Amino acid sequence: MYDINLKSLTKSFGELQAVNDITFSIPKSSVTVLLGPSGCGKTTLMRMIAGLDTPTSGNIFFNDTDVTRVPTKRRNLGMVFQSPVIYKGTSVKHNLELPLLSEKLSSSEIAKRVNDVADLLGISGDLNKMVEELDNGTRQKIAVGRAVARQPQIILFDEPITNIDITAKLELKRSLKEVFSRLSQTIVYVTHDQTEAMTLADQIALMQDGVITQCAPPKEIYEKPNNQFAGWFLGNPGMNFIDEEHINLSGTEITSSLFIQTIEAGAKVSKVKTLGVRAEAINVSSKQTPNSREARVIRKSLGIGGQYLLDLEYGSLKVKARVTHQVGRDVGESVWTVIDSNNIIMFDENSVAI
Amino acid sequence: MSIATTMTPSRKKGPISLLTMLCWSTAILFFLPIAWIIATALKPKNTVLDIPPKFFFMPTFQNLLDAINFSNTLAYFVHSLIYSFTSVFLAIFVSFLAAYSFSRFKPAGTEFLMFLLLSTRFVPAAAFVIPFFQLFNLLQLKDSFLGLIIFYTMFSIPFSVWILKGFIDGVSTKFDETGMVYGATRSHIMFKVILPQVRSGLVAAFVFNIIFVWNEFLFNFQLGGLKTYGIPVGLFTSITKGGQVDWSFVASIGTLYVLPLALVIFFFQKYLLVGLTFGTVRGEV
Repeated sequence: MYDINLKSLTKSFGELQAVNDITFSIPKSSVTVLLGPSGCGKTTLMRMIAGLDTPTSGNIFFNDTDVTRVPTKRRNLGMVFQSPVIYKGTSVKHNLELPLLSEKLSSSEIAKRVNDVADLLGISGDLNKMVEELDNGTRQKIAVGRAVARQPQIILFDEPITNIDITAKLELKRSLKEVFSRLSQTIVYVTHDQTEAMTLADQIALMQDGVITQCAPPKEIYEKPNNQFAGWFLGNPGMNFIDEEHINLSGTEITSSLFIQTIEAGAKVSKVKTLGVRAEAINVSSKQTPNSREARVIRKSLGIGGQYLLDLEYGSLKVKARVTHQVGRDVGESVWTVIDSNNIIMFDENSVAI
Repeated sequence: MSIATTMTPSRKKGPISLLTMLCWSTAILFFLPIAWIIATALKPKNTVLDIPPKFFFMPTFQNLLDAINFSNTLAYFVHSLIYSFTSVFLAIFVSFLAAYSFSRFKPAGTEFLMFLLLSTRFVPAAAFVIPFFQLFNLLQLKDSFLGLIIFYTMFSIPFSVWILKGFIDGVSTKFDETGMVYGATRSHIMFKVILPQVRSGLVAAFVFNIIFVWNEFLFNFQLGGLKTYGIPVGLFTSITKGGQVDWSFVASIGTLYVLPLALVIFFFQKYLLVGLTFGTVRGEV
């Protein structure tokens, strides 16, 4: 299998730098998710890997081979687009086997691959149906199947479940997870949806304004964002940021109106500009506990999984905290909060974690 | 209960059948001239100019047979078929390539180029019939099928490019890119992936252009000759055979003349409606 190495890759569209001098390695036989908001350059980056866009400068290597100028059809890829690409007027089976027919494969090998991939995606029963009869989710499975059946070295997914309706979305996400766990190919997956990224990725490459700001496994990138953007973009809600007016720095210590303890920061204290705390890292209690800070609930909304999202106010400082229903406090009432020092991340003036 | 069930449909049926009648009568009104021509062709020669006209008569095929056997009729027919079908087929092929390029590669100034393309059809034909006559004489293309086919192909291309570009724009570029990823060549993508999806557009462009070329008189008359005259010119030159207008002959030729087009349109009409909307009803797939 191939790993993908990008060297100083840049793509500009006129004034706009969609991809800005990226040097990055995508390890082979793993799922790398390019995650970022719309317009961050993730799709452009993927299209350059596919050869559908030509870089303005820089090089792309598959293993050690420079493929920057190699046409798409010779890159040995599979690709799945946002809207399912299916050939109407033919059966599901024919849609799956089309790219195989032009390769020198025996008919039994083609049939085997088609059946295997149909089994894997749970569409064996639909093989003889015409594609017009199927919903968008199943159509996208066909597109995935077509990419997989060809057994290329690299498979690229460009937001494959964005255009699928909500019920089929979950089903397709499950299928993809299953497919990914069975494949040994190098998979690059583009999405703007963090839950998709968290579910599917071996590592997430987070992109912002044409550069990859961090690449790490999902848990790590969530718990240890190396910049404020990663903290804000991942998580729902994003990380709470406490700016310098609510922080006191003295000597090597940090105190804040958000927590009662003193954080020993050593020499790096002089660089600290902002503190970051995840909403679920704020332990909220309805009764006063030792070493807790008192806060007032100013807003309460129902979140996912029966959890509540509280907007808390500590004097002029406002943060969001995620709590279970047991806390049971309402707007206007007081709660007491404790934050473990390990869950507080420090950022410098360039928004980079220190 | 039974009253209700019998009454509901009849109340519904009323306005619909009235509308249907209106549609039919409009359609018949438009079809009348053609019906008249066909009827005249089938009437015995001596009853054609009867007043009041005879609506019921014993049809005869003698006029049609006479028309077919008259001098060059068959030859004119063959000429018409040769130059119209060849040129329109050629035009559609060239236009498909052009429309694909405009749609996918979007060369600088695509919109202006598309405008320029159609602008050749703005100029009245009479304005350039003489220059073309001189040009064809110079190039020794006068009275040759090659010349007529070149001319009619050129004349059919602009409109075809417009129709086809609309259709190809309606097919997502993801089809092209998926093809490329799976190792297809550009020509495979064009002819095996995109072309089947714009079939309606091809048929629409074909029908519109064949109607035009089949009916074209002026240029066939000026640039053609005895070896290449088509039906319209043939009809015009033999309309006064024998010193007077022979209406049975005119109607017979007219009937034969309408036939190929009527067949083409009848068999392809399901594509035409989509074609008339320039493919815009198709969503992005």
